[in-house]
Amino acid sequence: MVTKSKLKMALAGEKGVDFKKLHQKKVQRAARREKAQKDDEGKGKMTEEEWEDVPERNDSGDDEDGGAALENEEESADEDESMQFDLAGIDESDSDSSAGMNDQEQDNEDEDDEDIPISDLEDLDEEDKEDIIPHQRLTINNTTALTAALKRIALPISKLPFSEHQSITTAEPVSIPDVSDDLNRELVFYSQSLSAVQEARKLLKAEGVSFTRPTDYFAEMVKADEHMAKIKAKLIDEAASKKASAEARKQRDLKKFGKQVQVAKMQERAKETKETMEKIKALKRKRQGADTSATQEEDLFDVAIDNELSSKHNSSGGKPSRTDRMGPNKRQKRDAKFGFGGKKRFSKSGDAVSSGDLRAFSARKMKGGKTQRPGKGRRASAKR
Amino acid sequence: MASVYKSLSKTNGHKEEETMNGVKKNKQRVLILSSRGITYRHRHLLNDIASLLPHSRKDAKFDTKSKLYQLNELAELYNCNNLIFWEMRKKKDCYLWMSKTPNGPTAKMHLQNLHTMEELHFTGNCLKGSRPILSFDATFDSAPHLRVLKELFLHMFGVPKGARKSKPFIDHVMGFTLADGKIWIRNYQISETESSSLSATQDSSSEKPKVVKAKEKGKETEISLVEIGPRFVLTPIVIQEGSFGGPIIYENKEFVSPNQIRAELRQKKAGRYNARAEQGIERLVKKGELGLRTSGGKKIPKDALDTAELFA
Repeated sequence: MVTKSKLKMALAGEKGVDFKKLHQKKVQRAARREKAQKDDEGKGKMTEEEWEDVPERNDSGDDEDGGAALENEEESADEDESMQFDLAGIDESDSDSSAGMNDQEQDNEDEDDEDIPISDLEDLDEEDKEDIIPHQRLTINNTTALTAALKRIALPISKLPFSEHQSITTAEPVSIPDVSDDLNRELVFYSQSLSAVQEARKLLKAEGVSFTRPTDYFAEMVKADEHMAKIKAKLIDEAASKKASAEARKQRDLKKFGKQVQVAKMQERAKETKETMEKIKALKRKRQGADTSATQEEDLFDVAIDNELSSKHNSSGGKPSRTDRMGPNKRQKRDAKFGFGGKKRFSKSGDAVSSGDLRAFSARKMKGGKTQRPGKGRRASAKR
Repeated sequence: MASVYKSLSKTNGHKEEETMNGVKKNKQRVLILSSRGITYRHRHLLNDIASLLPHSRKDAKFDTKSKLYQLNELAELYNCNNLIFWEMRKKKDCYLWMSKTPNGPTAKMHLQNLHTMEELHFTGNCLKGSRPILSFDATFDSAPHLRVLKELFLHMFGVPKGARKSKPFIDHVMGFTLADGKIWIRNYQISETESSSLSATQDSSSEKPKVVKAKEKGKETEISLVEIGPRFVLTPIVIQEGSFGGPIIYENKEFVSPNQIRAELRQKKAGRYNARAEQGIERLVKKGELGLRTSGGKKIPKDALDTAELFA
């Protein structure tokens, strides 16, 4: 009992806590617990979490009823407690035992059960049991206290009309497969709220509560007008920048291919003019020929032959023209073949790729395993 | 005399309200305040939340961080039965306390991932003081501590009917979702649009019923949501039975304090130097063991055949 701090001793003294009495009570409690354990031994050992859920004593029901009856007492006790407790350095079992209030005793027992592993309790003697300070804190999840606290503050939602509380819980738990996946996570949140709104509207309509804001109802909004203007400006800005960037990209692409397009167009135009000129020439020639001696039929025949000849000429026979050989874009082909543009300096010096290229490397040569050149005599003899 | 009459009539009114229909009326008032050392972002978020809650009262910064039980008196002074306290630590960590004063319970949560209304350029907007619909994830009913948290949210963020500055229409929804052991909070505007599909089907039908239908179906508008903001994430840490006091009835063991995370990061960074320094020490020890150091370490016993011995 001397283990208590000075402050706590002083407090206890002020309240007139009798340590001897407390000690007796504790012994009694321990004995009771021992008994209960012996009864339970047949069932086998339970883990701590299971233990707290099991209603070992039949006073769990009384606990809540008593809590309501003793509310006044509790309130005063709470005030005392709040003076006493510093949240950071809270140590429940210790402070509880020093406070030793009658109305909290049942709760104390629950908490004792939680803080000290049962397996440890069994090994100890009765005298040692009550002064125990748990060296290792277990996960605190005091279900009975939590439900009691909930009961104390809970709104009777089932009795209230929906418009009183306006809360909707989803039918099934919402599951998010990957929390770091922003898009899907937000989508889940959105759909949860949307379904809630749809349900809520139905309920509110049924209760005859106005839901939609009429268009002529003006009032202060959460976001002020200047804030909304800022948002609008930002949206417009964003759209404008998007449009500008798209335009710029288009221009860049045009610039890249513009030259080629121009060249192709020029060539096409040249070809066209050439063709027309040729046609005109051929016509002129034919005119002349027609003037000297030719019927209509011969003329037609001539044309056919001419066509055939020309086609043959182009495909196989004779020397092809330069443009045929190289194609229309000669310069480009030559550039591809011989290179054009770009840096010419250091083009022959080694780089990471070339030095990493080990095709020419041979370990034998590296070790100087090169065969010696035969002497002069041998060479001479080999020649013979 | 007048005051006596007033007090009497007041108490009478109270009783009437409480006994009405045999159920308690949902009456909430929230005190919102922060500790010293709040940063501008947290302050803006606090303002956003205060603007969403017409039944709230904002107070000046609270000076101490150790005697939080004094907050109970403060709440009583303002006639508030709920309290949201923003405890700032080191100007960067924010812990949100939600308490039902004066008798508890109290929940302490770590606030993360906050984005204020101002910095999120969302197009949604809603009436200041309109009552939100609260949408809860069903996971909140799965465990007792989560049920307590849900009840707290319901009291704090649900605007009671007939609150002082509340508006009669409903145009936003607040979503509370549990994911990854954290509570994610979102706020959306409810925007209703005339459904286009309905009007398309009506066109095919004859002229007269179309008008009637349009009037009927005019009510059934399509609902879509537009986010308003703010966004934030809460990690529950501890639930106390009393209000800023009393035994701890729930503690989240999975919660790692931001201090610890920062310390670990720093340690990781310091690892390289530490390894090098350790190496140096090891080398010294090794040399000492081999007797190669002039001072300290193990001395090698003098050999009889040592030159210094032989030719002494």
